[in-house]
Amino acid sequence: MPQIFPRKANKLPVLSLAGVSLGGIVSVLAVWYYFSPEYTDVGYAPQQPVNYSHRVHVDQLGLDCRYCHSFVEIADVSNIPATETCMNCHEIVLPQSLDLMPVRASWADDSSIPWVKVHQLPDYAQFSHAVHVNSGVGCETCHGRVDQMDVVSQVEPMSMGWCLECHREPEQYLRPNDEITTMGYMHSADYLKINLDRVREEGIRPPTNCSACHY
Amino acid sequence: MISLPIVDAPDVAQTSRLWRSLPHLRQDSEFVESNQEEFLPGASNPISGSRRHFLQLLGASMALGGLAACRRPVEHVMPFADRPEELIPGIPLQYATAMPLRGIVKPLVVKSNDGRPTKIEGNAQHPGGHGSTGVFEQASLLNLYDPDRSQVLLRNGTETSWDDFLSLCQRLQLGSRRVAVMAASSSSPTIARLRAELEASFSMTTWLTYRAEGIDTEALGIELAFGSPYRPVYHFDQADVIVSLDADFLGPTAQNSGHNTRSFAASRRLHADQRTMSRLYVAESSYSSTGLMADHRRRMTSASVSQLAVELAVALGLREGDSPGEFAVHLAAELQAAQGQCIVLAGETQPAEVHALCAVINQSLGAIGQTLELLDTGLGEAARPDALASLVSDMRDGLVDVLIMLGVNPVYDAPPNLSFASALERVSDSIHVGLHVDETARLSTWHVPAAHYLETWGDGRTWNGTWTPIQPLIAPLYDDARSGSEILGAVASGSFVRGYEQVRTTWMPVLGNEDFESDWRRVLHDGFLAETGFDAVLPAAAEFNGVIPTSPGGLELVIRLDPTVLDGSFANNAWCQELPDPITKIVWDNVAIMSPATARELDVAATYKRGRYYSDIVTLSANGQSIELPVWVVPGHPDNSVTVNLGYGRNIETTRPERDTPFWDTDDSTDVYAHGTLATGIGANTFLLRDALARPIASGLQVTKTGRTYMVVTTQDHGVLDVAARPLIRSATLDEYLDNPAFALEHEAPTPGKDEKTRFEDYPTLWEDQHPTGTAAFRDSDYWQNQWGMVIDLNTCTGCNACVIACQAENNVQVVGKKEVGNGRELHWLRIDRYFLSDDGVEVSDDPKMVVQPMPCQHCENAPCESVCPVAATVHSPDGTNQMIYNRCIGTRYCANNCPYKVRRFNYYNWSKTIPSTVQMAQNPDVSIRFRGVMEKCSFCIQRIRSAQKNAGLEKRPLHRDEVVTACQQACSAEAITFGDLNDPGSQVSLARSDPRSYTMLAELNIRPRVSYLARVNNPSSNLIEST
Repeated sequence: MPQIFPRKANKLPVLSLAGVSLGGIVSVLAVWYYFSPEYTDVGYAPQQPVNYSHRVHVDQLGLDCRYCHSFVEIADVSNIPATETCMNCHEIVLPQSLDLMPVRASWADDSSIPWVKVHQLPDYAQFSHAVHVNSGVGCETCHGRVDQMDVVSQVEPMSMGWCLECHREPEQYLRPNDEITTMGYMHSADYLKINLDRVREEGIRPPTNCSACHY
Repeated sequence: MISLPIVDAPDVAQTSRLWRSLPHLRQDSEFVESNQEEFLPGASNPISGSRRHFLQLLGASMALGGLAACRRPVEHVMPFADRPEELIPGIPLQYATAMPLRGIVKPLVVKSNDGRPTKIEGNAQHPGGHGSTGVFEQASLLNLYDPDRSQVLLRNGTETSWDDFLSLCQRLQLGSRRVAVMAASSSSPTIARLRAELEASFSMTTWLTYRAEGIDTEALGIELAFGSPYRPVYHFDQADVIVSLDADFLGPTAQNSGHNTRSFAASRRLHADQRTMSRLYVAESSYSSTGLMADHRRRMTSASVSQLAVELAVALGLREGDSPGEFAVHLAAELQAAQGQCIVLAGETQPAEVHALCAVINQSLGAIGQTLELLDTGLGEAARPDALASLVSDMRDGLVDVLIMLGVNPVYDAPPNLSFASALERVSDSIHVGLHVDETARLSTWHVPAAHYLETWGDGRTWNGTWTPIQPLIAPLYDDARSGSEILGAVASGSFVRGYEQVRTTWMPVLGNEDFESDWRRVLHDGFLAETGFDAVLPAAAEFNGVIPTSPGGLELVIRLDPTVLDGSFANNAWCQELPDPITKIVWDNVAIMSPATARELDVAATYKRGRYYSDIVTLSANGQSIELPVWVVPGHPDNSVTVNLGYGRNIETTRPERDTPFWDTDDSTDVYAHGTLATGIGANTFLLRDALARPIASGLQVTKTGRTYMVVTTQDHGVLDVAARPLIRSATLDEYLDNPAFALEHEAPTPGKDEKTRFEDYPTLWEDQHPTGTAAFRDSDYWQNQWGMVIDLNTCTGCNACVIACQAENNVQVVGKKEVGNGRELHWLRIDRYFLSDDGVEVSDDPKMVVQPMPCQHCENAPCESVCPVAATVHSPDGTNQMIYNRCIGTRYCANNCPYKVRRFNYYNWSKTIPSTVQMAQNPDVSIRFRGVMEKCSFCIQRIRSAQKNAGLEKRPLHRDEVVTACQQACSAEAITFGDLNDPGSQVSLARSDPRSYTMLAELNIRPRVSYLARVNNPSSNLIEST
């Protein structure tokens, strides 16, 4: 009886085994990378209903973050400003601007501007801006150089692993409370020592147990 | 399987036997088989049993799986254009307001998240309140968001405009119209003022205060005795002996149940400084929350209770009559010995004459002024029983041109002999103001959608008379919604005045004009006006020699308000429908309750089969009307009597479309809101069985078996623990307690490590050396400072269910519907186990005692659930709670399998996905909504703990002592639940846990629960031998 498989077919099992294992590794790596928030979420920069530029307002005009996000120090959520906040200035400044049409429309008919949420934490993660801001986590640490953004985009993955980096070693990231809103803050040379002292003094021990955030 | 003698067979001697139901007591093979498995029969099966359907689903999900969107949906942030000053996004606000319920208002503080009312609590500062709430206050939140509320103004069933309605009001001003008003009983000063206005503008007006449940016999009786319908306030905390003659004063339906429960609990609480307690005698016509708290309970028909009242009066020498029975003589001796520290009270089933007799008895015993306060409400006389009949006959005779019905539904609940519906047709303009397009709305010329009390301005007076404003937290959800007072005002004056102006006009003379604005703001802030309560009176000697009506005999029918849906006004409330009845534990149904002996006599039964009951349907005929209901057998119910509850058999219309989903989507079969209104089609209307005077008792009831059966779903047999072998509920008499306060630990199975016989090391936990509490990560956390624990006092808990609804509202616990409860898939985080208690060795018991035990997650330190979770979705927190991490859970259900207390709840379907958009507004934003396939359970209100810690941290202070209050604890009128930090020796919970009565359930398993119970102590009289 002639052989069904030619001799060179002997390589097939080895090759397919190698292929399967390589494919397995590649797909694990692919999922690891492409399914992670680092790939899916970082860089998310949706079109907003108003062409609002943080670069103009923060970098060029020098507004403090808290002029608009006024309750960040007392509330869990950092509020998006009411239209009234915009109109404080824009009633006088650029009253004819086309870019500001939606803002004036909102002010005229008392309707909300539908801002698109950029940083979306899942609903099962309970996060408080107030706690973080009052403990020395700067705006920039999570949101990046907003002062350089014409359109706000997400710069950090906001994944749990990323949260825990800081929760495990807060001294690496904290800054003095009066520098919270500073953009482009440079740590002083001995910041680790300063922060460690502060962590000890104020008892800053970020929790790492599940129900600190998930409930 | 590991065999540990302690786990398998504790050798505990017991003299009494705890059981959930008759099949449980008898250990029927069907019952034993169904409860051998971890989950009830059917709990693990897919929605449809057919293999073909399963394959269809499989194929469809494969096909659709690839189409699922990869990106999260775009979310919007919608800031105010012009933000109100006090509204900070993300920070909830609290407003003081009040809820009108059964003729009085209940003072409340309501939480509002971003403009949505989300949680109702009691107003602790209110002189007529106590900071706690009952079932109905808690559940009324969902009435606001009821998706079936009526939304538009209707004229003859079609939508119309307000101009149309106003032109009616103006037309009415011309010419002399005969106006009649049927209003739900109300304490509102504004309604009273508008009533006077109405009577001034129309020469002929009739005002009928309509109580669906029937006439207020208590007020009538007190009027009989004292000449004026004084309002009684009972101070049970001052009483040594309490005799309840069919009065369910602790039940959720009692008008003043919050105050009653609090003061009764005060008389029953035992600790080092209080070593006496009151003694409660109850003679009642159906098992109630009051009956289960009794030291001596006698089951008897309501007619026999009336006779007992007479015997008692004879025994006390207040009346002539046949020589009283042994029980009455004993009661008389006890009451006399109490020297005024006693209360005798009659219930709503009793005729006015018995109430009058009780008033006479109380006065002769010297109770008035001591344990019983009489308040002068200013009402000249109580409502007459025949007032409704005379109004209906006027209507039929064409003597009423305009009928205004404010928050009432007489077509559904008026006595059928009056034929209200046909009389209504003779009224040319009938105006119905109600929350639903209900039975009455459909037959009225006009239907005005009523505004919920959280949407409208109003006022009222609490039981003690304190003036209380009702302020809205939200604008009406529907543009056409108006309050009753606004409609009344429009008819009276011909023009429309907003409720806000109406209420201010009423309050103006009371507050005075000088500082009105600041006083008004203070009143709204506080939620009451101080020192406006009714005055207490000490009336002259009571006199009543009237005849007490006797029963003509035959089978008696008792018609009661339902402890979960009241008179039907809560029937379309999903929380209330799914709330197990305190006694029968039945959900989503009403039944005809009878004793085992009566059931045998009628040859009917409720048969247990695979987790559900199949009850014989019987026809109940009384007063010329018949309805069909399934039977239900409650041991302890009096013989020759049948009890039915009101509030079912509703017929409400909705404009909501049916949910219709493609074949692969099972949402329509798991969504309780999918098919029309919730209330429609559930149970039968028992209002129909009442006579023309709407009396709650009917004699000569005919019961015939139809031969059909009906599936009744009850949670009484869900999560049955091995009560035969283990003392889950421990109790003693007061004498035994005084003898040995630590009696609860007496019969405890040997606990590892507790004594020398058993060393802790012999019973290692599955963690062995790696118990989380020993790790550095644990001890190095701020949370380690507080170790949370809870203590539940079984001596004061009446099983009223307020905690269950409070938990449901706080923790976004979803409703699953009757069918799914039958599959054992209910989600209540806190359940109240109800046990019958009978002497050991008795095979069938007709007159058992009853005990209740609230069961939240016990937060074991050695939690068995934690060690079996393959993905560490349930682990321990450094502050000693057993945390459930939904986003980690993969739904193996191993934890539920391994939980000895059966407190874990699994989301078999995506119940939170299908809730209507209005009901979504009721959800608490601080608690995650759980998805299908996720386990959930009591979290000790971890969101409240974390929020308190967060606030303390921001204010740079430590947590105050007892700062964290759980939802169940806050609602509890009996203050039976204590929660707090076990690390703080001065906290309430530490003190309670160190009470000698304290014990933990299943301590012998070495799982160290954080919830402990204070054993129950009864105070039976040594002179009265119970005949069981």
